[in-house]
Amino acid sequence: MEFREDFVEADGFRIRYWEAGGGPVLVHLHGAGGPRLSRAHDLLRRQFRVIAFEMPGFGQSAENTRSRSMPELADTMVKAADALGLDRFDLMGTSFGGRTALCLASQHPERVSALVLESPAAIRPEGARPPAGPPEDMARRLYGHPERMPPLPAPDPAVVAKQEGLVNRLRGPGRDPELERRMRELETPTLVVFGTLDRIIPPAMGRHYKELMPNCHLVFVYDAGHAIGAERPEAFVDLLSDFLERHEAFVINRTDTVIHP
Amino acid sequence: MKVSFFETGRYVAPPDMPREWPVPAGAYHPEIGARAYQGMVERGRFVEELGFDWISLSEHHYSPRILTPSPVVSAAYLAAQTSKIKISLLGPIVPTSNPIRVAEELAMLDTMAPGRFVFGLLRGTTNEYLSYDLNPIEARERTDEGMELILKAWTEPQPFGWQGRYFQYRTVSIWPRPQDDPSASVYALGTSAEAGEFAARHHVGLGLSYGTFELMGKATQHYRERCAHYGWEPGPDSIIYRANMILGETDDKAEEMLANRSKQAPFPIGGRLRDALLAADVTRNVAGEKRPANVGGVLPISFCGGPDRVIEQLRRCREEMGAGVVDLSLADPGTGDVEGMMRSLELFGTKVLPRIRDI
Repeated sequence: MEFREDFVEADGFRIRYWEAGGGPVLVHLHGAGGPRLSRAHDLLRRQFRVIAFEMPGFGQSAENTRSRSMPELADTMVKAADALGLDRFDLMGTSFGGRTALCLASQHPERVSALVLESPAAIRPEGARPPAGPPEDMARRLYGHPERMPPLPAPDPAVVAKQEGLVNRLRGPGRDPELERRMRELETPTLVVFGTLDRIIPPAMGRHYKELMPNCHLVFVYDAGHAIGAERPEAFVDLLSDFLERHEAFVINRTDTVIHP
Repeated sequence: MKVSFFETGRYVAPPDMPREWPVPAGAYHPEIGARAYQGMVERGRFVEELGFDWISLSEHHYSPRILTPSPVVSAAYLAAQTSKIKISLLGPIVPTSNPIRVAEELAMLDTMAPGRFVFGLLRGTTNEYLSYDLNPIEARERTDEGMELILKAWTEPQPFGWQGRYFQYRTVSIWPRPQDDPSASVYALGTSAEAGEFAARHHVGLGLSYGTFELMGKATQHYRERCAHYGWEPGPDSIIYRANMILGETDDKAEEMLANRSKQAPFPIGGRLRDALLAADVTRNVAGEKRPANVGGVLPISFCGGPDRVIEQLRRCREEMGAGVVDLSLADPGTGDVEGMMRSLELFGTKVLPRIRDI
């Protein structure tokens, strides 16, 4: 995978990111488990200039004791985009990062052309928890078909503890009236994607985004779990790139079905 | 135990009609076709009077022997001409259908006559892959995905898109929707591990057909194990068993009928095409144990005897495979002896049906 690793200074943090490809800019904010480049990133870089951030406090970054709320973290990530000279961009948020992306788009709507929320964790049922435990347990929750996926690496306990504290502090309630008020006002074209086998956030949560957001499309990726981009990368990227190119018009089929012209 | 009559639209064919599937459409007689559908209504009313719980329909193409290419049309017609018997569609062939259309049509039926329909979703017999030009290798996965999409279309309250392997839709939002929770009246049909898994995961019933009690018991055991895995226990109505029965006034009479049976396959396919279909349709299994497809074969007889013996066999069927609904043919599909079948139906309704309710 031809991603280049680099760092950017923003809002007092030293933020790692991976970049590859050319074309329209697509910024990705990862889930509660930290950054993990998947096959979907590799496919996306063929059409987009992909910038995948490691948010402060995740992965190899220093512990983040400063960000007190998700809106604050979202502001930090806008500053990271500023520091990279990004003006307007497409934004994808995965799970926990879906909430960050929603906050970013609602706080800075002029910066985001279109929003993609992959298995977003901004609305959760009572008792939903981020996956934790040994890699086998994590895989059973992350994937619809863990047997088809390569094994997950053993987590570093220090990283896990650092991230868990941050996630618990920032992830907010399952239903957040303030966030939902902002969602009602957000006119950014938004694509919400859930795998039909998601075992972390029930796919039925998708309907709430559609109910709340004025310009929202909900799509289920069949036979994928929570990590859609890792598990069904071609299906996910085909959907995502079509939406980012055509926004609302992506509902119009333009597939050629002529068999023998 | 509940009892269903498998209605096949009895087209009483002249003896010289070609047998091989597909049967040439030019051999069709409109009057015989019209008579077959009148008979469908007469039999529907007859079994309703006799106290049968359901009348079942299937989807087959290009043949007079089961003359119901659209079970939805047959079901709507029968529902309008009967008053209380449940009509079970066992069922639409999912892999050759537009699942959204299936979801819409079944929801229409359920809305037109609430509570009177049972919906089975199935993969279909091997010959049907030729009817609508389906690659047999894709049949299993198309069925699983199509069934999942149908259930989603019935239950999802907001417009949604579907990014599948075989089906893609960007906007789905069907009207009307089913009257109640669809899981109460939906079955996945098939003996395979995949059908059992799907039915268990979605808390729906399982429908099986024609295999021995022992073999079908393996499929139902697998289904029960998967249901337990998903935290629920299927009830007696959750398992349907479709089978052939030869019922006589006495055991000897029934044996005589069995000996004189014409042994006609419903969809005879021979020679190299049969071999090629068998070689192409390789994912058939019973609870994960690989089995060859039935291509062009005669259907077995699962129940045979006078009333007492048949009741004992039904009891064994209940005990050994857990079926709470039996879906019966009392004559092979395509045999011309409709009157003989009507006599068997009456015998079943008067001498068997009242004695199996407690099974």
